[in-house]
Amino acid sequence: MIEIKFKVNQVDYKLEVDDSSRLLDILREELGLTGTKEGCGIGECGACTVILNGDAVNSCLILAAQVDGAEIETVENLEKNETLSRLQQAFVENGAIQCGFCTPGMLMSAKALLTKNPHPTSAEIKDALEGNLCRCTGYVPIINSVLAVAK
Amino acid sequence: MQNEVSKNRKGQDSVIGKRINRVDGYEKVTGKAVYGDDIQLQGMLYAAIRYTDIPAGKITQIDVSEAEKLAGVKAIARFKDIPGQKRLGPIRADQYAIVDEEVFYTGDVIAVVAAEDKEIAHLAADLIKVEYQPIPGIFDPREAFQSDSRLIHPEYKSNIMVHYPLRKGSVEKGFEQSDQVIERDYKTGFQEHAYIEPESITAAPDPTSKGYKIYGSIQNPFTTRKVVALFMGLNLNQVNVFGSTLGGSFGGKDDIVNYMACRVALLAKMTGKPVKLTYSRENSIKESYKRHPYFLNYKVGFAENGKLNAMKIKIIADCGAYSSQTFFVTWRSVVQATGPYEIENVETDIYGVYTNNTYTAAFRGFGSPQIIFAQESLMDEIADICGISPVEIRQLNGYGQGSITASGQKLSEHKVSLNEVMITAMKKAEYEKKIEEFKLLNAENDRFAFGIGLSCSYRGCSLGAEGTDATSAIVSVQADGSVYVLTGLNENGQGMRTTFSQIAAEILGTKMEKIVFLEPQTASINDGGPTVASRGTITGGNAVILAAKEVKQRIFEVIKDRLKETDLEKTSWQNSIIKSKNNEIPFDEAAEIASKQGINLSAYGWWNAPDVSWDEETGQGNAYFTYVYGCQIAEIMVDKSTGKIDVLKVTAAHDVGKVINRLGAEGQITGGVMQGLGYAVLEDYNIQNGEVKSANLDEYLIPTIKDIQSIDPILVENEDKFGPFGAKSLGEPTLELTSAAINNAFKFATGNHSYEIPLTLEKVFLNKQLKKPSRQSEVAHTETCRVHSTKKQSPRLNNITTITPKNLDEALKLLSHEQFEILSGGTDVLIGLRMKSGEHKLLNIFDISELKGISISQNEIRIKGGTTFSQIISNSVIREHFPILVEACSKIGSTQIRNRATIAGNIVNAAPCADSYPPLLLYEAEFVLQSYHRTRTISAEDFIIKNYQTQIEANEILTEIILPVPAPQKYSQHYFQLGRRNALNITRLSLGIIMTFENDLISDCRLVSGSLFNKPKRLPEIEKMLYGEQLKAKMIEAIEQPLKEIIEKEIGGRWSSEYKIPVFLNLMRNGLNDIRKKKESQND
Repeated sequence: MIEIKFKVNQVDYKLEVDDSSRLLDILREELGLTGTKEGCGIGECGACTVILNGDAVNSCLILAAQVDGAEIETVENLEKNETLSRLQQAFVENGAIQCGFCTPGMLMSAKALLTKNPHPTSAEIKDALEGNLCRCTGYVPIINSVLAVAK
Repeated sequence: MQNEVSKNRKGQDSVIGKRINRVDGYEKVTGKAVYGDDIQLQGMLYAAIRYTDIPAGKITQIDVSEAEKLAGVKAIARFKDIPGQKRLGPIRADQYAIVDEEVFYTGDVIAVVAAEDKEIAHLAADLIKVEYQPIPGIFDPREAFQSDSRLIHPEYKSNIMVHYPLRKGSVEKGFEQSDQVIERDYKTGFQEHAYIEPESITAAPDPTSKGYKIYGSIQNPFTTRKVVALFMGLNLNQVNVFGSTLGGSFGGKDDIVNYMACRVALLAKMTGKPVKLTYSRENSIKESYKRHPYFLNYKVGFAENGKLNAMKIKIIADCGAYSSQTFFVTWRSVVQATGPYEIENVETDIYGVYTNNTYTAAFRGFGSPQIIFAQESLMDEIADICGISPVEIRQLNGYGQGSITASGQKLSEHKVSLNEVMITAMKKAEYEKKIEEFKLLNAENDRFAFGIGLSCSYRGCSLGAEGTDATSAIVSVQADGSVYVLTGLNENGQGMRTTFSQIAAEILGTKMEKIVFLEPQTASINDGGPTVASRGTITGGNAVILAAKEVKQRIFEVIKDRLKETDLEKTSWQNSIIKSKNNEIPFDEAAEIASKQGINLSAYGWWNAPDVSWDEETGQGNAYFTYVYGCQIAEIMVDKSTGKIDVLKVTAAHDVGKVINRLGAEGQITGGVMQGLGYAVLEDYNIQNGEVKSANLDEYLIPTIKDIQSIDPILVENEDKFGPFGAKSLGEPTLELTSAAINNAFKFATGNHSYEIPLTLEKVFLNKQLKKPSRQSEVAHTETCRVHSTKKQSPRLNNITTITPKNLDEALKLLSHEQFEILSGGTDVLIGLRMKSGEHKLLNIFDISELKGISISQNEIRIKGGTTFSQIISNSVIREHFPILVEACSKIGSTQIRNRATIAGNIVNAAPCADSYPPLLLYEAEFVLQSYHRTRTISAEDFIIKNYQTQIEANEILTEIILPVPAPQKYSQHYFQLGRRNALNITRLSLGIIMTFENDLISDCRLVSGSLFNKPKRLPEIEKMLYGEQLKAKMIEAIEQPLKEIIEKEIGGRWSSEYKIPVFLNLMRNGLNDIRKKKESQND
């Protein structure tokens, strides 16, 4: 077991967790933040994407010990005062969601991109989202959603 | 978020056909939607599976004693514990949720453990020991088809589980009357659904019914209920199934989740507690059913003008170990096998055959993608032979109004729009213009060939004569005018909840916002049949209409006096206002009045599909009550030097009858096309001798966001008299056409017909699939084998201890007296550890600041070992001096991977396909290896011994990479990385070249290969040949033979060399020519 202190969605936590726990497990099981999903466990599908110290990362490939002192943002942080962020809204309006299982990861990858680069091109959007697999939408509406926010 | 509203045909505001936001959009963008694995119940236990170790054989012993002893284990369920029916199946009960004494495929389950936590459950599953008497498996359905073949299930007397014949006219006569008769064989592969959500099911004892509540990722809750009730020996009303939000299904979360539900229900019975079973991706791919591989033989006779006279079709479908939905899947194939073409003489036979492969069942398309691939490829070939265009042959033979299908059905009850969809797609795609453009491009380009191809289909809507086709809906208006809708069908992600809410809103004239679509549970409504066969909108939509109209009538009866109108038809219901000529009442008020008068404002809609018929002997009958038509046009680019296909654009025109939600409908097309694209070029479920090789999504490749440039969805509307508002089907047609369109585009591009998908690199380049052969030890033995498997039943991280040193000094000190595995970015190490058993001590060095950063001096640039690839590729100095390093590193994994993966990690891992390494060889990097007592420097050249072996010692850390700054002269550079898709690749081959010239002669030349030899390597012999020479075409040719010999000497015996050697020679030629041409253009 190890003790970690970190910040998730602006809240400070101090937890004692198993060394084998991944950031994904901590978010889902210790903090009940089940918006972050597991699709493959090997960093291939991106459903577990969260923002760690400003960067989009696969939370299935980060161990507990590696988040001590870190600042993390998950999908649960996007809606403020019962208002969806522009990005979330764009996903709904452009049909970027079907089954929705890839959606939290997509949103976090897109948010990390938009924070660093508020006006990305289509190619830049594809670079940022290349690690997020979607099986339902064919990606076209997802690209359109991010473009809508980038305007 | 305003939904679009416009006028309907009566000039009233209407939500039908508009772009409507999903009603479940909010919960899905906020992470609040509850999926199977998100369910937590009080006192819940966790389950884990013990799978078979071999694909076929008798179990001689199962030893659970060690597993039982593990503290925290609550129950281990085995065959003997099953209280009810032990063998199950939708038609034929030939499958086991837990096997008895024999295993039939690699996903069979021997036992299931329930324990207090996940890890204990998994550990216990790993501890169960099984002994077998292996049986040689049968993995080729053509072998299983032979009458002397071993019987997979002897009790059924034959491996042929189903045979559907279809006879129309006389094919013999038809062939005789034909100018030409050709015969072609086609083959399609397995396809994995690859829904992003792996399966998860929870069962909880229900004291009220003395049965169970079942939750989770369930496509067809009523089927799950039935299967669990049978298995547990319960009545249907003792099993209540609550489907959670479904993370994709595509036909896939049916049988497999039913069996999972059986297992957890049994464990819930044994323990008296709720039990959850969630699959890893590996479990999911290993156990879940796939799309059937088909072996198709088409013999066709036609006149010289292209008119088809006769078609004889024989298809063998690989059903794997169990029958499952094969009876239904193959039936659709026999109905539609000729495609949408009028042929007087047809003889079709399709056989579903048992093998020891993964069983196969429902997958979006359901027996149509295979036949469309074959017959639409065949149509193009016949057109070629007859010297007519692909469009002409389809127009000559295609169905029109009143055409008779192969099964003798007259197409007169709906608009036959085959030609309309084709013309629409052609216009939108500028098909004719593109043909000319591509011809020109191909004439002037040696390497890249462009192709355009089309395919057409017709498809029977809903279940047709395959089964009972009725469904249910409840519309319930509350006293305040708000509305509940629920149906006996299921939201799988496709948007059904939105569509049905729209339909209810439209009929009642109320606002979408007033409608709540209730989470379905099987106790609350009657079985609406499965959500399959693209039947949701057409059948469920009708049921919603019936229910809503009933409620509307009841409300009207109460308010008609106030409206001063006796005829409901003469009233208008819109924007929540009910109007007559004389008066108006708000809908909410009307609801309140009716409610106060004790009127029942809940109504049940039950829709029974129109009659269909089928004669099993002759294959004749009215198979489906209506049909949809579609046409897709694919534009592709083929790299002839590697076999890589890039899909540039797909234009997809589909007649949907009537669009209900345009946003949803377009999404069905873009999504279906992408799955069809994967089926055509990427998706290769690799199972050999019953063993699954493509275990996770790094090996089973689905399309990424970079694998298509554009999809143009076109919705054609011809309202159907049976459909709700005229709507028909869309989900499946979108997928079924794409592979044939791509295959026909491939023929256009290369001039070669292809008869097999997927069109992998090897298939395109060598015209055959090339797969890593099984090791001898994996080929089934006949001796008794005792398996002390140390393999984890479910890959996971466990048994890890981590130590995080504060600084480099502390890290080195720890390493000097203790053994650790070093953890940095974790993107290789943790993936590896998921598979490994035993204890692992990790030294976490990711955050050591001394290992981060890039420093620049006059002669050299030093990259600290812990620098991530994202940091490297965004560094301006590195971008300036080492462009190939930047290009190579930017192709590693994905943005998320590059944000964590470190350069030292990539180097030390020493994979032959490591992308950062070849550039480091090119730029002649050196590595600093530091231990507590010494620091040493080693060249990149010497560091890797061979694959995954390096010179680093256990107490050392690779702290720095030193790159000499190249002299300020003009370098010519070239880098090429080949992957199977356009992102998330494991590199198949790479080539880097740096060259300088003095007076036109090569003065420096560095060549490096990746993924070719057992480590990334320079090619000094070839470099030497080029030194001092002019880079002329002749010179480039001259190095080819020696290069070939060098590669052959080293890797000639490897399975992949047949592909890799010629392709690497091509890459070298491309690369050197690229430099030569650039140089020549500079000289001009």
